[in-house]
Amino acid sequence: MSRKARLLQAKDEPYETRTIISMYMLGIFIRCWLIYSKYQSIIGHHVEISTPLNSWKRVSEGLYVQSKGINPYEGDLIHEAPVILLLYRILTQTFYLPAEFLFLLVDSLTAVVLYFVAKKYMFHLFVFQERQKGEYAQDSKEFILSGADFLNSPVFVMAAFLFNPYTIFNCVGLSTTVFHNFFLAIFLLFMLQGNPILAPIALAFSAVMSLYAGVLISPLFLYLYVIYKDKVRAYIALGVFTLTLVALTCFSYVLGSGSAFLKNVYGFILTVPDLQPNIGLFWYFFTEMFDHFRELFICSFQINATVLYLIPLSVKFRNDPFLLTTAVLFLVAIFKSYPCLGDIGFVMSLFPCFMHLFMYAQQGFLVGVIFLITSALGPILWHLWIYSNSANANFYFGVTLAFAIAEIFLVTDILFAYMKREFCLKYGSERKIDGKEAILMLE
Amino acid sequence: MFHSTLTTFLLVVPLAVLTYAFDTFSEELLLKPLGNDHLYAHFQFATKWDTDPEQESFRHTHMFPRALGEIVARYNVQELHVSLTAGLWMYETWGYPIMDAAPGAELWVWFKEDTENVDKNWKELASSLSGLLCASLNFIDKTNSINPEYTFKPRGAVSSPTINSTFVRYSSLPREIVCTENLTPLKKLLPCEAKQGLGSLLNAGHIYNTRYHSMAIHMRPICRDSSCESVSLELQQSVSLVYDLLILEAKHWSFRKLFGQGVIGRCVLAETATIYVDTTNNESVPFQLKPDPDEYVTSFRGGYVHTYAKYDVQSYVMSLNANYLGKNKVVLNSPPAIYANQYITGYGQERGGIVTTIYNNHWSPLDVVFLQNIPWYVPIYLHTLKIDAGGVRIEPTRIHYIPGRQRERPYHLEVLVKLPARSITSLSIDFDYVFLKWQEYPPDANHGFYIGSAVVSTILPLARNYTGLPQDGSTISDSFNASRSGYLVQMRTESTVITLPTPDFSMPYNVICLACTVVALAFGPLHNITTKRLILIVKDNEHFIVKLKNKVVGIWTRRTSE
Repeated sequence: MSRKARLLQAKDEPYETRTIISMYMLGIFIRCWLIYSKYQSIIGHHVEISTPLNSWKRVSEGLYVQSKGINPYEGDLIHEAPVILLLYRILTQTFYLPAEFLFLLVDSLTAVVLYFVAKKYMFHLFVFQERQKGEYAQDSKEFILSGADFLNSPVFVMAAFLFNPYTIFNCVGLSTTVFHNFFLAIFLLFMLQGNPILAPIALAFSAVMSLYAGVLISPLFLYLYVIYKDKVRAYIALGVFTLTLVALTCFSYVLGSGSAFLKNVYGFILTVPDLQPNIGLFWYFFTEMFDHFRELFICSFQINATVLYLIPLSVKFRNDPFLLTTAVLFLVAIFKSYPCLGDIGFVMSLFPCFMHLFMYAQQGFLVGVIFLITSALGPILWHLWIYSNSANANFYFGVTLAFAIAEIFLVTDILFAYMKREFCLKYGSERKIDGKEAILMLE
Repeated sequence: MFHSTLTTFLLVVPLAVLTYAFDTFSEELLLKPLGNDHLYAHFQFATKWDTDPEQESFRHTHMFPRALGEIVARYNVQELHVSLTAGLWMYETWGYPIMDAAPGAELWVWFKEDTENVDKNWKELASSLSGLLCASLNFIDKTNSINPEYTFKPRGAVSSPTINSTFVRYSSLPREIVCTENLTPLKKLLPCEAKQGLGSLLNAGHIYNTRYHSMAIHMRPICRDSSCESVSLELQQSVSLVYDLLILEAKHWSFRKLFGQGVIGRCVLAETATIYVDTTNNESVPFQLKPDPDEYVTSFRGGYVHTYAKYDVQSYVMSLNANYLGKNKVVLNSPPAIYANQYITGYGQERGGIVTTIYNNHWSPLDVVFLQNIPWYVPIYLHTLKIDAGGVRIEPTRIHYIPGRQRERPYHLEVLVKLPARSITSLSIDFDYVFLKWQEYPPDANHGFYIGSAVVSTILPLARNYTGLPQDGSTISDSFNASRSGYLVQMRTESTVITLPTPDFSMPYNVICLACTVVALAFGPLHNITTKRLILIVKDNEHFIVKLKNKVVGIWTRRTSE
């Protein structure tokens, strides 16, 4: 066999298990090396990585203050839910796990879970494709996914999670988004497996940590309703989710000694009192806001982040709830009140699941370049503003805006690509009507 | 008829006079050379009113100022301590002042036990005092007041041995500036005002030409006599000044150089009016006083001997001169037993640390209470509190910590530490720089925000460099020969300034526009995706514009047809 033919064949073959394991070990090794080096404190102090919601310094403060008998929610520093604080206390004090080891462990587990999530999704795609084959146009055979695609995507997903600098910094910077991503990954796994009990429980834990994860109940419902075609399971999932939320809140009342935690945790996420800069849009907007309009814009921004796109997108993408999940997660990560690079990194690592859409995406280069530039420029302008006193807040705000634009382009591009692919599968790639040239337009 | 009315009148008036409570007023001035080229001048005006503070309505006042009395009665105040200070007292070189005061304005008050709403009374009391003293004390409210647990105990007589610390409030405003408009109301509270007696020396143009000036009002109930069966009300007003003689070019000082004039007679309402000049160091730095003092007083206190030259203020104008004899000598000073400094660490405007260094020069360990009232815009992390004595980590005896909330209350930290003997102990704690809303920055945003001074309290066993009044005394003469088992010192450290990072104040409209543009950039495509569907439309090549465009573009893109 000629060399070219062998290479072509190799592309269609799945990766060996040995390769996958060594790739995994390399990813863990990079994290291990960074987290025990002198760069850990530099990375952990960056505002892109640690926000008031996920800073481990604040968790340490909360645990210390709790050990002194003072209610951690009396002050203004701790914004972790009481249940999660209890989890950290058990992990660090009862099991004496050092914080670095804990974060490494959870991050590596997340990578493994994401591998199985992608594998399951690919299986679902395969089943769906087999079912829909009859409706596809004749000349769209080339767009149908083949065996190698199904087998390689999970590996790429795990690689995207392990080697994405955003997720690496998220883990090394000791930001508790690692735990949030772990709960989300568990939720995705159980959602794809169609488990109506465990998926809502995992989702409830994510929602207790960060309110915004609660919007994912819609894709979960759709998954059980449409893909598994089981109405009973869908409603059970809804019920279990509500019940778990209520149970966790009641448990938090007992743990957090009263309702002080509500204002500190959920009131904080919703009303945004702390204006520490981050990669989101809220901080400078509300720094420069007249007090008179503050409530109006808080409400509109929170609606924008949660429900505004959820309902229309749920209706449009009801046949592919996993894509809906990814899109909703990404939109939440862009528009939430205190985003961090860990949120973005997690969602970006899910994108290799949609490799079949990449050929329809038009703005990949633009998005990639903007990501590169803003990721490098952000810390530089932060240093100039805060340490050198030569730039001012507008520079950093501009970089944040560009970063948000890049993210928005990415998510809308993927969704457009899905629509184009659906059209091509159904009607073929020929762009001619009665022999005349035609173009694809939105109408 | 007339006869009986006259008799009744003659009987009633003496009765009215007899039922009136007796009050005394005394004024003193202490002049003490500090080291080589500083002079400490302390005015002490004490009014003691033998009335029951619980029942006094302050309707009929004699020498006690009615303006203050009405405020005290209205807000149910048991003890009032307010001071307005500018400059820093250098404990290391000057020893201990008679009264400590924090830079800026400081107010701490004990309310009576039957007060219903302490916070409401506190806020209204601060506002009334700001009107009385022409100072911006009205900025004192819940966002910068704390409830000290250990540091500020009642100075006066209390009725029960258990003290409920919910009735005390403490606040300080380090940004306050003290000037003439604060001195004038203080002078007006004196019985003789500024017309006669030592009050006439308080001339704003001269006394504000000092390195340190502090004026204070302290009101408290004290025991009427040694059996303490009844309680009197005592009011101390003081003005503390430290002159830098080199700046004044007044090495040989006199009243004219210090105050601009001599004492204009003696206040007729004063029971005692005396001037003391500390001549303890007259052997090392000799000076000659003119006129000759009336007598010399020796005070044995806490193991140390002080001699004072005493003058009774006469009814004629009098002035004091002091001539330094011999050559200029450099005096070595031994630092006092304990003193403290406070400073900020860290660089950049992201995170920093507050460090308080306490120097213990005493030969035995000392217990100190360290109080920090940190404003809400400086969030501190308690788990970073480190107490370090000479490289060795020491654990505090007790920590009392109430975390603050943004825009609601400050951070209240009280630490009880046992300082090792002859050591330098540093307490350090980390904080973050917060980002405030653009309207919360003061007009000069880059001046910075003040963190008030810490209060370090301890009870010294020795009275070296100590001039403070004993707890049961009201006048400087009460401090002579007043040896006690311990001498209370409440030092204030420096106040510090931090510059919080500022947003661009000219940008509100631009920021709203840009942020909303980005949101719209997401809304547009997502709206298109969810409400429209993809259809194939025939390319319109017949339209004139399209034909023109195709022709123009075709010039550069025509290909040879195969």
